[in-house]
Amino acid sequence: MSTEQQLKLQAFLDGELPDGEAREVAALIARDAEAARLHAELKNTRLALKGSEPGMVLPESREFFWSKIQREIERTAPVVKPEPQVSIFSMLRRLLVPMVSVAALVIIGVIAAKQFSSTADAATVGTVTELADAGAVTYHNYETGTTLVWLSYPSNDPAQPKTTTQ
Amino acid sequence: MSSEINFSSADDVTLVRAAQAGDLMAFEELVARHRDKIFARAFSMMRNEEEAIDLSQEAWVKAWQRLAQFHGESSFATWLTRITINLCLDQLRKQKRLRAESIEAMDDESGGVERQMPVVTVNPTERLERGELRQRIDAALGKLSEEHRTVMVMHEFEEMEYKEIAKAMGCSIGTVMSRLFYARRKMASFLADLKQAN
Repeated sequence: MSTEQQLKLQAFLDGELPDGEAREVAALIARDAEAARLHAELKNTRLALKGSEPGMVLPESREFFWSKIQREIERTAPVVKPEPQVSIFSMLRRLLVPMVSVAALVIIGVIAAKQFSSTADAATVGTVTELADAGAVTYHNYETGTTLVWLSYPSNDPAQPKTTTQ
Repeated sequence: MSSEINFSSADDVTLVRAAQAGDLMAFEELVARHRDKIFARAFSMMRNEEEAIDLSQEAWVKAWQRLAQFHGESSFATWLTRITINLCLDQLRKQKRLRAESIEAMDDESGGVERQMPVVTVNPTERLERGELRQRIDAALGKLSEEHRTVMVMHEFEEMEYKEIAKAMGCSIGTVMSRLFYARRKMASFLADLKQAN
């Protein structure tokens, strides 16, 4: 028998041959004594093995074996703790804090802008400022770009100011 | 979920569903139920107790990590056994003890000895008690080469088809057929020898 015939004989036994080839092999077994003997041997071996797998018992206690598995599971894929539930109050707080901050900034900006514009209006005519020196007073006219400074010294007579123009 | 299930009486499907939802206690029950079978499969492939323990442990960890991929196409035990077999094959490859061989290479390797072996005409396992038969099969399996043994285990014990074995081993169907043929012939010879020895 050729190697191919032997392998086909086995495939026939295992039900892995298509119908046409299976019929051919069946005919070979019927007419060839050597093929019939080989077929019988393979069949006996197969039957002996079926359901006769040697039984084995894991030589470790349930607890010990499981502890190793559990440790490995936890090491490779730690259990993810669920996030604590967020209350509506804290969600609102999260939203309100930035909103209030933005609103406050806007209000401050508006007030500052208004103040600046009113200052500018007033300044179009002129501003009188008393300096830290009690004896000196300045006047600035924005329209003409003129600044007047009254100095009380060296003359103590406030009716006679010294003027400078910038 | 744990409090709702009586683990010892629950079936595998229920336990798997609970485990898929993250219940480690349900998974522990599955381990307790199938650990011997998984260890036995690893041992039949590796023939080394320590390696079999390590690989079966690794198989359980992998099973937990891949539980989401299990959709019940086969039984949980079958699915887990496939994981174990693949891990064993990987380990054997790492050890460079498995070689992808063609039918011709296998013929060269065996030197055609198996092809020339006389056919065992008497059933060597006839009238043997189950326990004794298992012992002899175990002894005979231990004498097979790794290539022959792994194919034998996958086909005879796991009832895997040629193409499934070929896929798992990364070889052709022809190689699987050849290895299985020689494994069976050697097995028949070993069993006959054991009968004569007794």
